[in-house]
Amino acid sequence: MGCHAADGAEVQIQDDELKILLIGNPNVGKSVIFSKLTGMDVMTANYTGTTVTYTMGNVQFIRRKGVVIDVPGTYSLEATSPAEKVAVDFLNNATPDDVIICVLDATNLERNLNLALQVKEYGLPTIFALNLIDVAETQGIIIDVEKLEEELGAPVIPTVAIRNIGLRELLFKSWEIVEKHDKKPIEKLNEKERWDEVRRITNIVQITEDREATFLEKLGDMTLKPWPGLPIAAFVLLISLGVVVGLGKGLRALVFLPIVNNIVVPFMTKIVSLFVTEGILFNVLVGEYGVLVKGIEWPFALILPYVFLFYIVLSFLEDSGYLPRLGVLVDGVLSKLGIHGGNIVPLIMGYGCAIPAILGTKASTSYKERIMVSVLVSVAVPCAAQTGAFISLLGDHSILLLVSVYILSFIALAASGIILNKIVDGTPEPMLLEIPNLLMPDIQSLLKKIWFRTKGFMVEAEVPMLLGVGFAALVAETGILNSISHIVEPLVTNWLGLPKEATLGLLLGIIRRELAVLPLLEMNLSTLQLFVGAVVALFYIPCLSVVGVLIKEFGLKFAITISAITVFIAFLFGGIFNHIGNFLLLL
Amino acid sequence: MCLYNLGKNKKCKIEKIPSNHLLKSLGVREGLTVSIMSKQPLGGPVIIQMGKRSLAIAKDVAEKIHIEEVS
Repeated sequence: MGCHAADGAEVQIQDDELKILLIGNPNVGKSVIFSKLTGMDVMTANYTGTTVTYTMGNVQFIRRKGVVIDVPGTYSLEATSPAEKVAVDFLNNATPDDVIICVLDATNLERNLNLALQVKEYGLPTIFALNLIDVAETQGIIIDVEKLEEELGAPVIPTVAIRNIGLRELLFKSWEIVEKHDKKPIEKLNEKERWDEVRRITNIVQITEDREATFLEKLGDMTLKPWPGLPIAAFVLLISLGVVVGLGKGLRALVFLPIVNNIVVPFMTKIVSLFVTEGILFNVLVGEYGVLVKGIEWPFALILPYVFLFYIVLSFLEDSGYLPRLGVLVDGVLSKLGIHGGNIVPLIMGYGCAIPAILGTKASTSYKERIMVSVLVSVAVPCAAQTGAFISLLGDHSILLLVSVYILSFIALAASGIILNKIVDGTPEPMLLEIPNLLMPDIQSLLKKIWFRTKGFMVEAEVPMLLGVGFAALVAETGILNSISHIVEPLVTNWLGLPKEATLGLLLGIIRRELAVLPLLEMNLSTLQLFVGAVVALFYIPCLSVVGVLIKEFGLKFAITISAITVFIAFLFGGIFNHIGNFLLLL
Repeated sequence: MCLYNLGKNKKCKIEKIPSNHLLKSLGVREGLTVSIMSKQPLGGPVIIQMGKRSLAIAKDVAEKIHIEEVS
């Protein structure tokens, strides 16, 4: 992790380009400024296996070129957390030819000035963006910009990033300050002196008027109290889940699948048949599990709708400032499982699809939490597609059966959390969280964010998925698939008590979670067999695409370990329930 | 008395904070006056207000913050 952070600080830029670093506290609008400055012409760089990422993009201003780097938000520069380490590395690698834009949250000047003074100590050309100045004003906070400039000894530009206010001036000053920067030594302050200085400056530059709280402020306070915060949370979560799961299914069935199956796949098949004659290669490319068929259908037709909607919901919740509030409410419960409250969102999203859930853990603060949440989602959380399959398999037979499978999944979730907490290295971070202002998200930056993320997914998830699909196609086409059926037959019939045709579900279940369930529909199973089949499917390998994402995010070894554990748990518990059930039936 | 045991809507002056890097970076420091906004159930965090800011502090940490109640 450390070496990645160090690598990140040495980004390659052209000689004629100005390097602009965006530094600031978390949640001050750095990323909004970044996306506004760089527009659509953006290149993202994400590290694997670490939550610490930075983003860089190009900017052009009056025929001059620059590279803007969005450094992860940090509260201080003492390099004690991975995010701070990245920020410190970037600052250490910066030269007087670079510019620091230190973004300050005008609604929270005190805390932001603490970082501002630390940034200033680097003696680099620095300008300050006093962002969210409009929100500050509605809250009755008035800041004297000229006095603040005087105190900081650097340009301060009031900005409303979401409405493009002040951004041109920010760029103008960036090029200006590099040319006339004189490096003078800056006195280093210790922590106490710094806070005293912060307080002194705040007292000089800021006037706070008492105004009646706005609706959003009142709502914000309400969401932080158990009552009515908890009902509000339930409402928000239901809506979110409804959008991702419900709309996702609709989009998938009505838009994405028809496009892929009726237009893209026939096109691919036509192209391939021009060059390749029927045979193994043809089937591997465009057969039933062909790379160019499933390799396109899965990511784009089956997964993209959920990912896309997930990002809409996530981006909206992120921009509104609601997520930390939700985390606060559920922290009491989740911390018993060793993860702090903030992780509720990826967990719940796992019920839609594990892929956005695992990708969503990138927002977690510690690596331990990322691993824990990813494993929990992979092992014990059924995705929406599988839920649909469970409903058709069990729901018609007995609602009780369906509910008991979900109760089992909750028990497994809690048990896995407790076990993982013991075996995953690292101590859980206690919750210590600044609650951001509740804001109405800006539509334009929201759309841009959703687009960046969706594009990122399409680029990043496609390659591992193609490889996975290619492997599956090869196995299917070479007849290895049939051989496996014979090998696992004793396990399926003797241990699990399922008909030998159920092997098909287990094999297909590797590819898609719901495919582990659906073949059972045709088999006239007894109640016990239905339950056993559902239990096996629940814990079974979290589908090939998820394994692909696990490989991408955590590496091959980790993905294989998780897959092996899930298969083991699936067979172990499936068999145990089968034998207990049979024993009970004999009584 | 510790911060966690202070009642809802009560004000207090912070007397002593544990050595916690993030706590200091967030601006929680000795001599500051804060109030309790809410306390989350099941051993969840306590939400304090410092000026216009709200901060969630885990029970474990809040129990180590010594305070003096002020009216």
